[in-house]
Amino acid sequence: MQRKGMASWRGVVATVGFALIGASTAYAEESQFAYVYTTDLLPKGAKEVEQWATWRHGRSQGDFDVLEGRTEVEYGVTDKFQAALYANYAWARTYHNNVDGTTAPPESFAEAFPGADDKFVDSKFVGVSLEGIYRVLSPYTDPVGLAIYLEPTVGKDLWEMETRLILQKNFLDDRLITSFNVTVGQEARRLPADPSAAPGDVEAAEHWDHETDVNFGFAASYRFVSNWSVGAEFLNEREFSSFAIKSDTRTNVAWYFGPTVHYGGKDFFVTATFLAQLKGAKDYANSGPDSFVVNGISNADDFEKYRLRIKAGIYF
Amino acid sequence: MRNEAWIWLPVAAVSTSVYAKTYFTVEQAQQAIFPGAKMTQAFVKLTDAQVKEIERRTGVNVRFDEIRLWKVADGGYFVVDEVVGKHEFITYALGLNADGSVKQIEIMDYRESYGYQVRNADWRAQFTGKTAASTLKLEGDIRNISGATLSCRHIVDGVKRVLATYDIAVK
Repeated sequence: MQRKGMASWRGVVATVGFALIGASTAYAEESQFAYVYTTDLLPKGAKEVEQWATWRHGRSQGDFDVLEGRTEVEYGVTDKFQAALYANYAWARTYHNNVDGTTAPPESFAEAFPGADDKFVDSKFVGVSLEGIYRVLSPYTDPVGLAIYLEPTVGKDLWEMETRLILQKNFLDDRLITSFNVTVGQEARRLPADPSAAPGDVEAAEHWDHETDVNFGFAASYRFVSNWSVGAEFLNEREFSSFAIKSDTRTNVAWYFGPTVHYGGKDFFVTATFLAQLKGAKDYANSGPDSFVVNGISNADDFEKYRLRIKAGIYF
Repeated sequence: MRNEAWIWLPVAAVSTSVYAKTYFTVEQAQQAIFPGAKMTQAFVKLTDAQVKEIERRTGVNVRFDEIRLWKVADGGYFVVDEVVGKHEFITYALGLNADGSVKQIEIMDYRESYGYQVRNADWRAQFTGKTAASTLKLEGDIRNISGATLSCRHIVDGVKRVLATYDIAVK
């Protein structure tokens, strides 16, 4: 079973997290936004520990709650290249959340097949991610900041590669920070046979499911007093049902927008962003009563009404 | 059995960072740059026209129209200025020779988590002798410190603005 051995995984993650917190350094860098990345990196030799918590809540019907956690350790390999290691874990609770009123798991629990009227509750260790960010141009010495980002993730029956282009432009003595991201995420999940699939369907047998996410993100925040910034983040997420990005493989499109607040001080930082899904979602793979779009918002397995993400980092 | 305990994986550390620091009071900075010299406070209030001219010449925003300036008895000036840091303002002192060239700069308050290399004497020494006619550009005539770029750039811009202010509103 999926959860066998989770107690030992929890112990490993907690031990690594606490051990790294106990290390010492004089440097730190922070996440200005909760979703959109900037080109600001750790200096060479600097380290940082970040904790993420993301709450994904609500559907057009039923109950839907997902909590995703990430514990991250960052290291400045050079002044222009930063590496990081993440431990990813998640918890979910859903009930009658599908557009047809049945219970369905979120994407991160896609290997589960709860009964139509079951209350689905589960948690899992999702996997481990490596992250590398290379800054090509600095927003402080060049007209615009530019960085390239790679993040491979490996988990049980999961392979994922995320590639991101980061552009940053600052204004008003660097107190107004704007950033734009283009992200391509390709993931492969080995899924067990779906008991409800028609004989002969790919889903009727164990198989590797391929998906590509193409996301666009824009964020801006203004430091209105020392240490405190407020602003907004905007996301446009597009899904494709294979590694090929073509019109006949596109499936879901959704839009999110909401406020962000950031505190950065000499000891720690905290960033929080609340996003609400905007109307205008699309489901290219299903139509009529099967469409995941209800009242303009997507109810596909990786989308929900609201998202709240909090990141906290400690300088030590 | 459920595993909700995952969610409570904590980051439970108590920071011991004590890097924010005041290195010089105004009096200490005055003595560091002009040892033993007598000074007279002579704060300057910039006019709107002067602010516009300083910004036009330097391309740097003038955030405060009052210049905290002292006249040194045997010539020269002492200025306390602030520039934007990553989280808070960086306060520094600038000593000018009687001819308006930079004698010395000292970082007075630095409250950031990193970038403390701007206090290094050899980096600050690059400003010595600079005047309002100097280029004063990071990665031009002033060397950058990798990992402290934001602080370096704002201090360079600050010195450039103070030198233009001297040229336009003080001398």
